[in-house]
Parts: sequence; C-alpha cells; structure tokens
Amino acid sequence: MILIVNTTADTSVTDELKKRMSECTTDFEVIEAESLKISHCIGCNYCWLKTPGECTIKDDYEMILKKVVHADQMWVVSDTALGFIDHKGKNVYDRMIPALTMYLKFYKGQLRHVPRYQKLPDIGLIYLGSADKAFLKRWNERAALNFMRKSLGVFERDELKEAVSCMC
Amino acid sequence: MHVLIINGSPRVKKYSNTNAILEKFTEGLCENGTTFEQYEISDKNSWDQIRQSYDRNTIILVALPLYVESIPGLLIEFLETLTPKSDGSKMVFLLQGGFMEGVQLRCGEACLKIIADKLGCEYMGTLVKGDNFCIRFFEGEWRENITGAYADMGREFAAHGNFNSKACKKFTGPETIPFFVRIHVGHILNTQAKTGFEQMAAVLDCNKPLDYKPY
Ligand SMILES: Cc1cc2nc3c(=O)[nH]c(=O)nc-3n(C[C@H](O)[C@H](O)[C@H](O)COP(=O)(O)O)c2cc1C
Repeated sequence: MILIVNTTADTSVTDELKKRMSECTTDFEVIEAESLKISHCIGCNYCWLKTPGECTIKDDYEMILKKVVHADQMWVVSDTALGFIDHKGKNVYDRMIPALTMYLKFYKGQLRHVPRYQKLPDIGLIYLGSADKAFLKRWNERAALNFMRKSLGVFERDELKEAVSCMC
Repeated sequence: MHVLIINGSPRVKKYSNTNAILEKFTEGLCENGTTFEQYEISDKNSWDQIRQSYDRNTIILVALPLYVESIPGLLIEFLETLTPKSDGSKMVFLLQGGFMEGVQLRCGEACLKIIADKLGCEYMGTLVKGDNFCIRFFEGEWRENITGAYADMGREFAAHGNFNSKACKKFTGPETIPFFVRIHVGHILNTQAKTGFEQMAAVLDCNKPLDYKPY
C-alpha cells in the first residue's frame, strides 16, 4: 500500500497524483492532512519506554501512524521554509518515532533503533516552493535510513510524473 | 560579549538534555565576563519575547537536539516566524543527539548552515556532539560525567566567538565506531543496554514489552 500524506493546502497536487496513478495496480491512499490536527513531537519518550509503540499525543496523527507502520511506501507532500521542509512536513517525520523501539543495533556500520514492525515504508518527498534540493535529497536518505528503509527520492511540484514512476 | 541563547528542544526545560548541557556550557561561557540570556522554544508563551530578543541581539546561539536527522518540527515552526536579519548578526549552533557517532549529526549540521544563511546571519559554526540520550535519566555525578566537558566549550566560545577551533572539532569524538569495537558494543546493546532500557521503562510503570506492537 502506498500512503500519501499531503501537509499542504494545495490539493491540486494530490488530484494530479491520483490522476496519474489511476493506471497503477498498487493500492494507494491519500490523506489530506493540512486541516487535521497534528502536533509536533514533544520528546517525552513514552512511545519507547512507557506505552511502547503508542504516542501520548492523542490527535489526528494516531490514525496516520496506524497506516504508516503497514505501508510499503510513504510519500510526504510538504511546503518549504528556510531552505528545508516546513514544520508541518517535518512533524510527520518526527512523529514516526513510535514505529521504532528503544533497542539499538548497528545497521550499515552505524547505530540505529530496531524497528517495531517487520517492515516500515520507504519514504518519498514532494515539495512545493523553493528549497535546497541537494540537501533535501541527502536528508531524506538519512531520514529513511533511520527507519532502516530507503529514500524513494525528492521531487518538486512539476516532477509529479517522475515521482509516480517510483510508485507504480 | 552578550549572547542570546535559544534552547530549541521541544521538551520542557526541566527534562531537556539541551538545557542540562547549557547549564554547564554557560558556566564556562561566563567566566571572563561574557553574559547571556536564555529562552526555551518549548514554552510557546515566550515566543514573542524570543523574537524581540532575536531582533535586538547580534550573537545568537541556537542549541538543539537532533530530530530525525535535522531540526525539530517545533523549532522550525518558531524559526518560520522570524524576519531575516541584515544587521551583521552572527549565528552559531550547539547540535546534540542521541546516537554516539559524529557522522550521525553531519546532515543536521548541514541544515543549520542553510538556515543561518536564510535568516541573513553569518554562520559561525556548529558544536556537534552525540551520546546524550541518557542525560535526563541521570543525576549528580553520572550526569556531570556527560555534561561536564561542555563547560570547556563555553570557554572556547567565549574566547573565539565561534565553534571552529580545533578543540571544538575534537569535542565531537569519533565519526564512526571501528569494526572491532562495534562487535563488542553490539554485544553490550543486546545484553546490558537492553536490561538498562527495561529498567528505565519499569521506573515509568510500563507494563508492556518494549517491542510491543499496538497496531
Ligand atoms: C522525535 C525524535 C527524533 C530523534 N532523532 C534523532 C536522530 O535522528 N539522531 C540522533 O542521534 N538522536 C535523535 N533523537 C534523540 C535526541 O536528539 C536526544 O535524545 C537529545 O539528547 C534530546 O535532547 P532534549 O532533551 O533537549 O530534547 C531524537 C529524539 C526524538 C524525540
């Protein structure tokens, strides 16, 4: 299953994605998250040490997390700020931490947290506006590595065709 | 020299590792007359005050925990509200994380350089250090063992006004853990560390296994 989380107000992006994916055989689900209530991570560590796997913040992210942990791919559509993705996009990544456990191991020569579920999704990023694309590519690879997965790439608004070719 | 220090951790001050690090850092910083004012991003009620201080000050130190390879969502939310400067302000960062290897923080460090540029500030370097996860669970001498050395870095910053000195670079420690040490550490992670984490969980009244799958 491919999960697409749109944290921007621009639904023309997801409309275009849906259209382009209509011939795709894989299931996909689009979540329009701009109007949802998604807090930032407060770093309480309860998802690792008190209520394993569950975030203490009971907001709309809970429903997203339930899908994330069983998806093959997750795509985040984000606005940008300060050369990077904006806080709404970043919160979607930060709040994925319950999908990992407190336990540690070496993976590809570096420390990582052991994933809580058998297979977390590969992660792709689509961004609107201007940002440092080379940096975003580097960052999305590192972010995916955190979940022991790979980056599906980083795409601009006018590269949806290329993004979809990584989905189907 | 007067330094505006912003603690960019989303965690409340009382439990913030960044704050524990800053307590030591500022001890060293102030020895020779440098002064500072400190604010916490976690306290949203103070955001107006931080913005005013950002407009007023020309030496700005942002101390932050690494969150998924870059800066915490809440800190981005705050920085988005700032007006880029053009008064020759300088920006430095203290970036700290959980994993112990230096290489884990390099992507985050690159992000900070971009952010300083976008805010119209001269980038004066980042002090990079991992292996801080346990600070909040330790007290007294144990905590001091992790945080104590940051006082030296406060002195370095007071002396140079940046984090580019050799001592600051060295402070990061090893970039990666050598293969043979990894085998040894890997064994500890599977045994003692696991037990340690389970004990931390017991203190928090956790009643499920740490690898429990709720969904
Ligand atoms: C959502 C989240 C993401 C994190 N991501 C990373 C990471 O990518 N690399 C790392 O070394 N530590 C990571 N950490 C660990 C924190 O950087 C570390 O525990 C830090 O000392 C917390 O400081 P604070 O108490 O001031 O917030 C993460 C912690 C949280 C809560």
